[in-house]
Amino acid sequence: MKVEEAANPLAEGLHDYRVADPAVMVIFGATGDLSGRKLLPALYNLAKQRSLPAGFAVVGAAMDDLTEDAFRKHASEKIHAFSRTQPIDDRVLDTFLSSLTYVKVDFGKLEDFKALGQKLQELDSTNHIPGNRIFYCATPPPTYQSIALQLQAAGLNTGSGFHRIVVEKPFGFDLTSARELTQTLQKVFAEDSVFRIDHYLGKETVQNILAFRFANSIFEPMWNTNLIDSVQITVAEDIGIEGRGAYYDKAGAMRDIIQNHGLQLVALTAMEPPLAFDANAVRDEKVKVLRAIRPLIGEDIEQSTVRGQYTKGWVLGVQVQGYREEKNVAPDSQTETYAAMRLFIDNWRWAGVPFYIRAGKRLPKRVTEIRVQFKRPPHLTFGREAMKEVDPNAITLRIQPEEGISLKFGAKVPSAGLRIRSVTMDFQYMTSFLVEAPEAYERLLLDCMIGDPTLFTRADEVEAAWQLIDPIENAWRSGRPPLSMYAAGTWGPDTSAKLLQGDGREWHRP
Amino acid sequence: MSATVQGESIPLWHAENVTLSDVLAALSEIRYKFARDETGDDEHLHPRTCVMTLISVSPSEPDEELARRTTLSIGTEHPAQAIVIREKAPIRGRHLDAWITSEVREPEVACGWQCEIITLHVHGHAAEHLAELVDPLLASGVPTYLWWLGTPPFGKKELLDALRVCDGLVVDSARFEEPYTSFRRMAGLLKVAHHRLGLADVQWARLRPWRETIAQFFTPMDRRGFLNGIAEVGVDYVGEGRGNRIAAALLTGWVGAALGWKIKRAAAGTGGVVVAHYEAGNRSVEVDFRPVIREHLAPGEISAVRIGGSSQGTTFRLSVQHDPARMRPVPEPAYRTLHATGGEDDAGLELAERRAEWHRDVLHENLDSLHHTATGDPPGESRPKRPRVFSTERRRPDSARVLLTMIEIGDGEPLRHVQQMDAEDEAALLLDLLSTGTHDEVYNRSLAAASELVEKF
Repeated sequence: MKVEEAANPLAEGLHDYRVADPAVMVIFGATGDLSGRKLLPALYNLAKQRSLPAGFAVVGAAMDDLTEDAFRKHASEKIHAFSRTQPIDDRVLDTFLSSLTYVKVDFGKLEDFKALGQKLQELDSTNHIPGNRIFYCATPPPTYQSIALQLQAAGLNTGSGFHRIVVEKPFGFDLTSARELTQTLQKVFAEDSVFRIDHYLGKETVQNILAFRFANSIFEPMWNTNLIDSVQITVAEDIGIEGRGAYYDKAGAMRDIIQNHGLQLVALTAMEPPLAFDANAVRDEKVKVLRAIRPLIGEDIEQSTVRGQYTKGWVLGVQVQGYREEKNVAPDSQTETYAAMRLFIDNWRWAGVPFYIRAGKRLPKRVTEIRVQFKRPPHLTFGREAMKEVDPNAITLRIQPEEGISLKFGAKVPSAGLRIRSVTMDFQYMTSFLVEAPEAYERLLLDCMIGDPTLFTRADEVEAAWQLIDPIENAWRSGRPPLSMYAAGTWGPDTSAKLLQGDGREWHRP
Repeated sequence: MSATVQGESIPLWHAENVTLSDVLAALSEIRYKFARDETGDDEHLHPRTCVMTLISVSPSEPDEELARRTTLSIGTEHPAQAIVIREKAPIRGRHLDAWITSEVREPEVACGWQCEIITLHVHGHAAEHLAELVDPLLASGVPTYLWWLGTPPFGKKELLDALRVCDGLVVDSARFEEPYTSFRRMAGLLKVAHHRLGLADVQWARLRPWRETIAQFFTPMDRRGFLNGIAEVGVDYVGEGRGNRIAAALLTGWVGAALGWKIKRAAAGTGGVVVAHYEAGNRSVEVDFRPVIREHLAPGEISAVRIGGSSQGTTFRLSVQHDPARMRPVPEPAYRTLHATGGEDDAGLELAERRAEWHRDVLHENLDSLHHTATGDPPGESRPKRPRVFSTERRRPDSARVLLTMIEIGDGEPLRHVQQMDAEDEAALLLDLLSTGTHDEVYNRSLAAASELVEKF
């Protein structure tokens, strides 16, 4: 193998060493919330870890009329407020800020994109950048297509080096719009240059689902319908819609959470072992799961889904208003802030195992977890009385917070008699290693710079997810099943509990 | 994030002239009490969490204090058990004094944990039987690391015996007495130690930013070919003599081992410079080790690395400097405006100086005619002085812990890049080494190559 094609021998052994080629990252919507809360702090932390190469530059692009100094000041304030690592290292920050520039770009004006192109060429020349570009759309989803088309019109999607575009979820509003978005993006960029971010996939604990399943030999043999009774996936938030009423009232919990995070967690829990941890092998297996999920149609939707909306109540000791009283929400809104559903995966491994998914706002606490519940022992050796305090075995994969894994099993209570009680064996992610976990965006930004799309969503995954969700959304819009109300601070509407009670099960309290 | 429940480092238990059984009994009691306090009446005891056992052997009181501080610092973030051992002068009839300190951490989002520090003062010959002493104390199922502060007794049976119960030995070759001899002995250790043993060197962790920065330069595909075009390497180190050349040798050993270079010879040059010649395929590579004086760096520290060469007709040069001293431009406003420095540090000023050099050359080539045109004076009269850009050098506190990179490729404009190094902190360096275990093949190869190089000095 030629040295030009081989891995860099000097990088061997530098654990955590991942550095990208010199590039310019253009952040559209650089003055917005996502950029300020996530992207700029993540880039600062990458700079702090010395993961940004010499010559790497960031161009902020937004409609605001800002000078470069004003943009740097804005970036500095956001980094101080939202960086994962504190206190801020002023010297790292100064160096990072010096790599920032700003260009005012009106997404409707081609000449602004041409001016942006001019700036990029200047940076190529001064920073030894071989034309590598990353265009990050930290803008509302409806702008993605126009940005991509303007980039094409200004000739910024071609030339030497790589040209990548990053878009944030939601990828479309339904199957039709998702396909339209994909087609537009693929007209301008090759599919392997389109990076669709679902930041959940950047979380260490989400990636650890794969490690847990496929780096251990003891779990996989029991990870199937023979021993597993059911799987529960909970994505609960204690917050409300946080001023995003205009967006949320059109989206709802199904589109906002279940279509992406929820189904991604289903796919990672249920997928077959990929041949390798590489982009296509992993994503191929995930798509197979999504395609194997039995579609909900007709009456199934009423029987297997629940939609709810929070009314006023108490969350974490604070009284909060109901959804319909939130700003920019219609007073008679039918949008769900809680969604639950029962799915079946029609393949050999999962035949007959229900997957229960729920996601909601204004629930008692913020928690995301996957609970795999096992079947009860076939015979009660110790008798019913001794076993009355024993729950079935369960493995809980806690994604956030208290990241970790716990295994529940029965153990003898120390006493003269024979009494069995459930105990848990806990693995805590944050205290079990001698390293600190990076923030999801740090991981994903670096992956994108390096060109590793493993943790990004592929177009066919997006479409497979919408194919499942579209019929449900359509039924819900016509009032089937009816919207159930729940008080803020509770675990959702009664109908959600009944969904499981009908199967002889109940939701696990996270 | 987390709160200390109990007082800071106040021993929960202390006894003099005790047996290890007494220490174990005290530990059990402390652990039970912690587990009971941690849970409510109706809950079950949480299992103890422990990431590793770190045994520190401290030859002196300051080292013992350093070991305690470091292990405590690690323990605030990572549940660990630490055993700090210090050999004391023999006292008749007295073998062991022990202290147990337990730091309890209660993070908001996880169960509480304990960081235990067991300090043992060992009198007399018991210290020669380290394995037997610590074995009963070790946490099961987690790695055990032996951190030897100072110079371990390389080649002695007591060290090999102690290593029997350990997964890794951690040393700091920058703190060795007789570094030249000790470093070579350390390299020989891997040949005689058990196959599971990993060897880690805090000095290697200190070199990490250098390694990253050098590796970074060659990472882009279009620069990968430069690896086969390296012709010269220069390493500046602080202090004189072969003992101070250890870090430089380790870094050179790393590059050489990674690129398959073979050492041919090393010879003393002028001004204390030592030149090593390597064979790299059908090319030869010259590595210059140059002693420099840098008051802000410790003897043996690397001050700068330069790598240069050419590949397929393109020349390249990478220069990395540690904590570059800053210089103040002479107040010549017009001239400085013409040649903006782009930063008041070595690299920024070097860029400006080069531009000035170029400008000066062009000026001087045409100086007489230019002067004549401008002033009307006859050529050679009242000629202006050669411009000087910088005159004084000063160090500013804000230049500390910086790696300054200069990249020159072909005829392109030089590129400067500033990266901050983490503040040097024993706990952070140890964590860097231990977080992935101590089995580092790259280090082992680099150590072997460095040892070979050091022998040639």
